[in-house]
Amino acid sequence: MPVLTAENVTAGYGRTPIINDISLSVDAGAVTTIIGPNGAGKSTFAKTVVGILRATNGRITLGDQDITRMPPHQMPRHGLVYVPQNDNVFKTLTVRENLDVGGYASKGDTAARMEYVLSIFKDLSKATEKRAGNLSGGQQNLLAIARALMVEPTVIVLDEPTAGLSPAYTDVVWNQIEGIAQTGTGVLVVEQNVERALKHATFVHIFVAGSNHVHGTAADIASLDLAAIFLGRAGADH
Amino acid sequence: MTLFWLSVGFGFVTASVLAIAAVGLSLQFGITNYINFAYGDFMALGAYFTYVFNAEFFHWNVWIATVCGSLLMGVLAVIINHLLFSRFARRFSKTFYVMIVTFGLSLIILNVVYSIWGPDVRAYAMPIERVVRIGPFLLTRDQLLVMAISVVVMVGVAVMLKTTRLGKSMRAMSDNTTLAMTSGIDTRRITTITWFLSGTLSGLAGAVLGISEGNITPAAGELFLFVIFAAVIVGGVGSIYGAMAGAVIIGMATEISAAFIDPAYKLDVAFVILILTLLFRPNGLFSRPKG
Repeated sequence: MPVLTAENVTAGYGRTPIINDISLSVDAGAVTTIIGPNGAGKSTFAKTVVGILRATNGRITLGDQDITRMPPHQMPRHGLVYVPQNDNVFKTLTVRENLDVGGYASKGDTAARMEYVLSIFKDLSKATEKRAGNLSGGQQNLLAIARALMVEPTVIVLDEPTAGLSPAYTDVVWNQIEGIAQTGTGVLVVEQNVERALKHATFVHIFVAGSNHVHGTAADIASLDLAAIFLGRAGADH
Repeated sequence: MTLFWLSVGFGFVTASVLAIAAVGLSLQFGITNYINFAYGDFMALGAYFTYVFNAEFFHWNVWIATVCGSLLMGVLAVIINHLLFSRFARRFSKTFYVMIVTFGLSLIILNVVYSIWGPDVRAYAMPIERVVRIGPFLLTRDQLLVMAISVVVMVGVAVMLKTTRLGKSMRAMSDNTTLAMTSGIDTRRITTITWFLSGTLSGLAGAVLGISEGNITPAAGELFLFVIFAAVIVGGVGSIYGAMAGAVIIGMATEISAAFIDPAYKLDVAFVILILTLLFRPNGLFSRPKG
């Protein structure tokens, strides 16, 4: 069942559209990934979904609610959270303060939620009073995800959550992402690493030159000639 | 030795005024990321609003007038941001353009103050205070009150930033505005509150400067602005705690030097410290890297 739906979305910076007429949906409890070559508009789409960029065309809905024109600060209150690729933690704040800030949009008991989140992210529970800027890159990414979870999200959008991480930490982060999906949350991940995306995702979308070129289940996509699709030489009937 | 302790006492008073002003400027800079060159004129306006409540029309007690004058300056700062600064900040991604606007506004406010109250030196209606001896220091009761207000403001701001939802939201926004926004913080609301706090503190600093100096002039805030900049930069730009520490260093240094060299060189001493800081610790004495 889709919890997030984008229909014919066009967006970009200024008057230049970067993504054109993109339609995509994210199911509850599933990991949906977006892959594609550099400059395909993956991150632009993620930023449009969470309201940082304004869609010039199309419609985005969260459940039954139209969020196309919703200001970004209201998204977490409605259950849509975002973890950017870079600068994804408040570096001058402690780990606990980062989680506190993440919980400000929550309607529930934030103290209990923090306890729950820290029980999942054991690494962070040992460093709650440490400044986020002093954490390793992997720990910062985990903190960013933990902060997003403070609101009990319906959908979490992650932009390249494992970029620049060691293989060991990449496993840790992907395990957490799968764990989040298992709780019923819809997960949308922008991912550069095709192998990882196919391994962990339920559904995969391939963006090429600002369009949702090919999409399907991870198993279907794995059987295609991805190099040809990435280079724009081939499409698919998916 | 007596002269030294006297100047240390005055140093505490100057540092107190400076700390209020520097924290107000730092709060606003941390959120908006541009320097408000009209801040000194905000101080002057706050001082004159207090003058209106205290001596010109209402004849209220100077401390009640100070509270009202400061709050009025806070409200005016919000209106100025809403009508002027925020529009330029939205239109131009480079903060340089907004700083030019603040510089222009500084000239406008200065001339408005001159046209309303004239260039003459004015004074608050206050009883003449007896000097109190506390240890080696000689201070008036009003100067002691200025120091107490400063301590209350510093502690209040520090507690607010560390423990309250508003304070953590302000620190988060100062760290990364876009991330704060996508984390659910209403950044426009926080910006408005910050302008109110910054404006109120500028008004308070202007009024207590007038009380401690015994007079107010239209250009007093502008002259003081450079000392505030020195305190903020010495402490570490954007660091509230740094601004507090910078205020104590600059306040003490200027007053002690005034006692032993020449009061005319007060500003020069502040700038020598500023230059030395920029040479040897360009990020300020108390700034912490983000990561």
